[in-house]
Amino acid sequence: MTSQTTLLNTRFLTAGYGPVTVLHGIDIEVNEGEIVVVLGANGAGKTTLMRAISGTIPRTGNIEFEGRSIKKDSTDAIVRAGIVQVPQGRGTFPELSVADNLLAGAYVRRDGAKAVADDIAKWYSVFPRLQERSTQRAGSLSGGEQQMLAIARALMSRPKLLLCDEPSMGLAPLITRELFNVIGQLNKEEGLSVLLVEQNANLAMHIASRVYLLETGVIVASGSAAELSADDSIRKAYLGF
Amino acid sequence: MELFLQRLVDGLSEGSVYALIALGIVIIYRGTGHLNFAQGEMALFSTFVVYQFGEWGIPIGIAVIMGMAVGFTLGAVTEVAIVRPISKKSPFAVFIVTIGLFQLLNWVDGAIWGGQQLPNTGVGSKQVRFPSLFPNNPTDFVTIFGANIKIQSLGVIALVGVLTVALFAIFNHTRLGLAMRAVAANGESAKLVGIRTGRVLMASWGLAAAIGALGGVVFAGISTNVNLGLMFTVFIYASAAATLGGFDSPGGAVVGGLSIGLIQNMAAGYAPKWVGQEMKVGVAFLVILGVLLFRPSGLFGTSRVERV
Amino acid sequence: MKPLFTIKAGGPTSWAVRVVCAAALVYVLLWIPTSGSNSLIDTATTALTLMGAALSLNLLLGFTGQISLGHSAFFGIGAYTTAVCVTRWGWSPLKTLPIAFAVAFVVGALVSLPALRIKGVYLALVTLTLGVVFPQFIKWPKIEWLTGGSRGLTDTGFKFDKNNRTFELFGWNPWGNLRGENVKPFYFWIAVVIVLIIYLICRGLVKSRVGRSLVAIRDNSTAAAVMGVNLALTKGLVFGLSAAMCALPGSLTAMKGTVTPDTALLTVIGSITFLIVMVVGGAGTLWGPIIGAIVYQFITEKTGDWVEPDKIPSLLRPFFSWSKTPPAAGIFGLSLVVLMFVAPLGLAGFWKQVVGRVVAVVPKPAGSTTLEPTAPSDGIPTWQPEEPLAEQ
Repeated sequence: MTSQTTLLNTRFLTAGYGPVTVLHGIDIEVNEGEIVVVLGANGAGKTTLMRAISGTIPRTGNIEFEGRSIKKDSTDAIVRAGIVQVPQGRGTFPELSVADNLLAGAYVRRDGAKAVADDIAKWYSVFPRLQERSTQRAGSLSGGEQQMLAIARALMSRPKLLLCDEPSMGLAPLITRELFNVIGQLNKEEGLSVLLVEQNANLAMHIASRVYLLETGVIVASGSAAELSADDSIRKAYLGF
Repeated sequence: MELFLQRLVDGLSEGSVYALIALGIVIIYRGTGHLNFAQGEMALFSTFVVYQFGEWGIPIGIAVIMGMAVGFTLGAVTEVAIVRPISKKSPFAVFIVTIGLFQLLNWVDGAIWGGQQLPNTGVGSKQVRFPSLFPNNPTDFVTIFGANIKIQSLGVIALVGVLTVALFAIFNHTRLGLAMRAVAANGESAKLVGIRTGRVLMASWGLAAAIGALGGVVFAGISTNVNLGLMFTVFIYASAAATLGGFDSPGGAVVGGLSIGLIQNMAAGYAPKWVGQEMKVGVAFLVILGVLLFRPSGLFGTSRVERV
Repeated sequence: MKPLFTIKAGGPTSWAVRVVCAAALVYVLLWIPTSGSNSLIDTATTALTLMGAALSLNLLLGFTGQISLGHSAFFGIGAYTTAVCVTRWGWSPLKTLPIAFAVAFVVGALVSLPALRIKGVYLALVTLTLGVVFPQFIKWPKIEWLTGGSRGLTDTGFKFDKNNRTFELFGWNPWGNLRGENVKPFYFWIAVVIVLIIYLICRGLVKSRVGRSLVAIRDNSTAAAVMGVNLALTKGLVFGLSAAMCALPGSLTAMKGTVTPDTALLTVIGSITFLIVMVVGGAGTLWGPIIGAIVYQFITEKTGDWVEPDKIPSLLRPFFSWSKTPPAAGIFGLSLVVLMFVAPLGLAGFWKQVVGRVVAVVPKPAGSTTLEPTAPSDGIPTWQPEEPLAEQ
């Protein structure tokens, strides 16, 4: 594990909303090529963690990405640096067509229309349902389709690190499984690094390289998926099996 | 028939100005959710600037482009320096600030160029002869089906038509347009794909004020003179147009603007006793009330206009 | 920083302060009509007129969190109701006040209802349009027989003749007299009474239980809806009341003798003036409009002749001499913008801050009523169209 290069590294990351502090000093690491899963219950601060990393809320502490501090960067600079967040729930642009959503995902890219069109074609082949609906408004898609669109849109920027905020939320178990399979596949085939926060432990554990447990804004345990599943008390308290 | 054609052209030419200002209202509303009450006054200020350029001997065509640049700057600076910081406080504060700007800009126009302040209906205001973009002598008309149509009016319709097509091309086929639509659809997600939402909003306000400047110049041309109340009634009609078309629909703003122009001119023309010149603005009032009663999201707006 | 003095609310010091203030107020109110010049009485009457209108506008903001740009129309409805009743049917002007109140109430409630059912800027828009339509409507040829069209109506006020009663008090009449020799104090006193009525209605509502629940509704419409309150209807009624109160000072302008549709306060200028008075004084505070009206009228009159550079005080001359129009409109336009940054609660809020530095008022135990519910705790009046639609 240590031979891998560290991609993302937070030290004492603290964030919240106005006077309310939600995250109390989070230390996490994501190495290149890993899928890191942060598990936590409702209100543990999962979404806040995502937002703090992607810079949509003010934060203190340090965040390093590829060895460079991105603590002071704005959201758009962080996206250009290669971290893209898939927002929770329906984070699509509902009034825009599916194709325009994907185009918007490539907003930060400067490598020309041809390369962008090629990528759109590529993600259409991964998510054939999106191609069928390419001219429809994103708002008219089903929940699962919107989630796929959100992921495809994020991937359009060719990120080095994908942040996924509860991709299973509101989706049928079958669709969730399909989604996690796709993420796992992308990780294996494209070497995509992923930081994923989830409530739904069972599925997420399958694809995780490492797991953190987040409880009321504090990391309470960490380790490989196997290590955590092996620990009885943790398994009962957090994984429910 | 002649009368109908004349009213049609008059209605469309006035309506196209309403459409321009309504487009500005919609662009800003989509981006920030604010109704900029100073929209018309920003346009009036730019119009006076164009007039001043004309006085200095700059050809009207160039003066208009310079005026639009001034308008863009005015809009962009307003967004960055005033509206953005204040919108963190409350929507109420933004509302008051746009009213304040309305009052301030109107006063500035009067202070520099003279005339009675504030939007009266032009009573007692100093009237300034305005250079027209198109030939506008009494002999400059074409005869269609026996109706004498002013070249001026046709020019206005054509110009606004071209500008509208260009705007929609920007919306639908450029990076800026994509960013603007993304910000309007979902501001947070727009940030997450790397769009600098601040710059987009700044550009939106600038763009809105720039097309407003053109609208002002064109309207001043139709009215042949400029006074301090010029753009105020236009703003009212444009708001009615935006309400009719749907506050978040640019296409709706254009359709709404043209409709309001037509309805108002036809009503005033065919029912002179009932509507006449006095109650033209009553048409706008009834349209707004009617739309709110029966179809709050307007003709083309999304139903995000929520009920309380 | 620790305040220099502390005063217990309801304690003797507090009462002493109140008594002194009240005495000063009564003294000023008596001094103006008896010893002030005619122009001062006029100024004071105009300020009181603005006060009344701004107070009614403020009630709307305080209770529904919404703003009207059409109160000039209700002001005008008051003026024309009085004018029509007096000229067409020979009523006594004072008796037209309740009619003006009722007419404005009905029109206000009817016009506001469709807009109040919808979130967003619609009420402001509808009322703005109403403000524009009103003077045009008055000029409408179809109703010229009633309103006198654009020429307006004359002889709309009191008939002064030698046979009227004088209401003298030991040969002294601080209220002017109805025989036409000294009528300005008379208008002044009507204005005082109107403002007093409006102030008492506002104060009563704000401090009553009904008022408190209304404020709760404003601050949390979902909770109110759950409680089964018909939000639109309630807001419509408040709007109606606000409109009705605004008609009273409007009536007063008609009582002075003439009304035309182009009178500034009857056009949108009026609406904007009321708004300025309210915001400069302090939107959402009970005393704001009162302070605002005095300041507004003072500055407007002081700067009225600043078009000629030599009328401008020499210190200020370089700043204002370029202007071709009096600077008041610009000053107030700018101050709306600036106030929102530095003092959202206007001069009243600013005053409270300053006094708060020097004097601390210790409130009575919980359950008492010394706070003003119109000022939300964060110091900024909330406004109903909460979030930009784009963020939903």
